[in-house]
Amino acid sequence: MTSQGHEAPAPGAVHAAFLAAGIGSFAMGFITVLHEAGVYSAPTIYGPAGGVSGRTTFAVAAWLIAWAVLHRLWRRRPIRGAVPGVACALLVLAGLLCTFPPLWQLL
Amino acid sequence: MLFSDRSIWTMVHGIVLGGGSLLGITALLTALTLLRPAGREAPPAVAAPSKMIALAALCTSVMLWLTVVIGTYVSFPTYRAVPPPGTTDLGAYPKSLIQSNPQTAWLHSFAMESKEHVPWIAAMLVTAVAFTAMRHHRSLLQDARVNGTARLFLVMAFLLVAYASVLGIFVNKVAPLA
Repeated sequence: MTSQGHEAPAPGAVHAAFLAAGIGSFAMGFITVLHEAGVYSAPTIYGPAGGVSGRTTFAVAAWLIAWAVLHRLWRRRPIRGAVPGVACALLVLAGLLCTFPPLWQLL
Repeated sequence: MLFSDRSIWTMVHGIVLGGGSLLGITALLTALTLLRPAGREAPPAVAAPSKMIALAALCTSVMLWLTVVIGTYVSFPTYRAVPPPGTTDLGAYPKSLIQSNPQTAWLHSFAMESKEHVPWIAAMLVTAVAFTAMRHHRSLLQDARVNGTARLFLVMAFLLVAYASVLGIFVNKVAPLA
């Protein structure tokens, strides 16, 4: 924001970090629901912890890859307009819904 | 020995790190709310607070990641350990103990199944806020949209961590990792 009252555009890196968190959250839910539906199970990374070790590792990998790609694309670009807060919130809510056990009973 | 290794790890996971994360998120949320840009007026000088906010955000993020990693790779394996055939005392096998009683079975099918995934989402959200606080603190404190999104993320993270914590308390009351 300047003294004239005009807001400077937020750096693209901020948008990238927020949107990547939404994508990572959705990935967590999506991978979980695929597992519960019997469509695809991420391989177990650490035996004593079971399948959750693979699901969470894959979701974190998706988050980091999404962040790296978005950061590379947007880091030098000041982005005007709304931070994709609504898109992020929707992705997070979709991810959470997919990790909600009662939903799995419907699959 | 007053506390077993399992019990100590559970306390570190739930009380020290999980509780610390909740405190950190609350502090960040309070700071970002108090320092949020009001309208289109020029913001006050915020150099000192922004450094403190960045440090607090980094610490909170680290604590939350430690909470989920210890929860998944240290506490959870002891929780889900399978008792040898013929075992009658299930006290050392929390998952089996919970599932042996229809009245407590939901603590696994709902509570633990939720706790396995939800806190990881909270950790990603807080990390995004921490990154912004550390690398783009001006935007965080001067751009209403960035500030609003960060506070939205913190509110969601707080609710998720609190939700997982309460479920964890329920599980630990019925089948403590002693």
